[in-house]
Amino acid sequence: MKNIIYIFVFLVSIFLISCGDDTCNLDTETYLKVNFHTADTNLVNDKFLDSLSIFSSEWTDSIYYSEEKSDSSLLLVLSPNSDLTEFVFTSETEELKDTLKVYHQNEVVFLSPECGFIVNYKIDTFISTYNIIDSLELLNSDISRKNNGQIQIYF
Amino acid sequence: MVKYKYIFSLFIGILSLSFSYAQDDSFYAEEKVKDPLQLKGIKFGVNVGRFSDFQFKPDRKSYEASVDFNLSNKYFGVVEGGYSEISFNKDLYSYNSDGTFLKIGLDYNLLKKFPSDFLGIGLRLGWSSFSHTADNIEINLNHWGTEPFPSISNSFDAFWFEASFGVKGEIFKNIYLGWAGIVRAQITGGKNSDFHPYDIPGYGAGSKSLHLAANYYIYYQIPFNSKK
Repeated sequence: MKNIIYIFVFLVSIFLISCGDDTCNLDTETYLKVNFHTADTNLVNDKFLDSLSIFSSEWTDSIYYSEEKSDSSLLLVLSPNSDLTEFVFTSETEELKDTLKVYHQNEVVFLSPECGFIVNYKIDTFISTYNIIDSLELLNSDISRKNNGQIQIYF
Repeated sequence: MVKYKYIFSLFIGILSLSFSYAQDDSFYAEEKVKDPLQLKGIKFGVNVGRFSDFQFKPDRKSYEASVDFNLSNKYFGVVEGGYSEISFNKDLYSYNSDGTFLKIGLDYNLLKKFPSDFLGIGLRLGWSSFSHTADNIEINLNHWGTEPFPSISNSFDAFWFEASFGVKGEIFKNIYLGWAGIVRAQITGGKNSDFHPYDIPGYGAGSKSLHLAANYYIYYQIPFNSKK
């Protein structure tokens, strides 16, 4: 049965030239999408959104709405190691600022061998000051790679 | 994926080879009155394909051996078992796992003309018990920087079915070489766990419900009833 031996040797040689890919090609961040709606005509006239920025006390830099070039929304990442994330909304055109506190549960999830771990979140509740902000609405509390969390902010 | 493409195409190639044999009537012996099944021998095998891991996948050590009971060279009761451990360090975590596996099943020989060789199909039920741990976990997030996380450990029991198509040829007296293309279907295995298995011993990638693989075995058969 020499044919079987030839087949075996051929299959072993094919097996040995197989290869793999070890780089992470996936987005490992999970986002809270914040939609902005500006109804106040004074804020609209002041181009309030164009000068809106957001920072958190633990960040080294701020997020500037004007740099994101988004359609009335920003993608934020909640704190991975705390159940409270505090965002401060400021604008150059307004003296007042608002603080949004988001309370959430964190879940560390293994994404893939190449990418390692990510954090999924579930928003429990939030509180805010209402200086520039008129009202807020939580549209989606579950945050994962497949699903952005979503908060609507009305100014 | 490249590996699977090769294995799949070879699988199809061998299937077509078997069909071409099937059209050759001389390949099969004439129908005979059925003889009662006899235990013709017991084969002990070692999966030599696993040894290639030492060279090509240095982060893993795995061993697999088998025993099969040759019933009239037509049916083979098969028990396969092994051990696997994986250990590697990545930039954002380090990983360790170890576990054992056992497979029980049956091979059916399609050959009737060649008294000692095998070209046929097999079915197995596989079980694995294993645990894994990730240490030194870090997650790198925009604005938050790189954050450390505590270690995570999990233990699992996994079950799967597998179907195979393979060959075993007697290269020297009672020494066999064997290859089998295998399709595995996971029944349970922690695929939906937050820390799902990277690799299930005896099965393969833990994230896949369906897995294609190949075995390369060397066997020694202790012959019974070896009347010549």
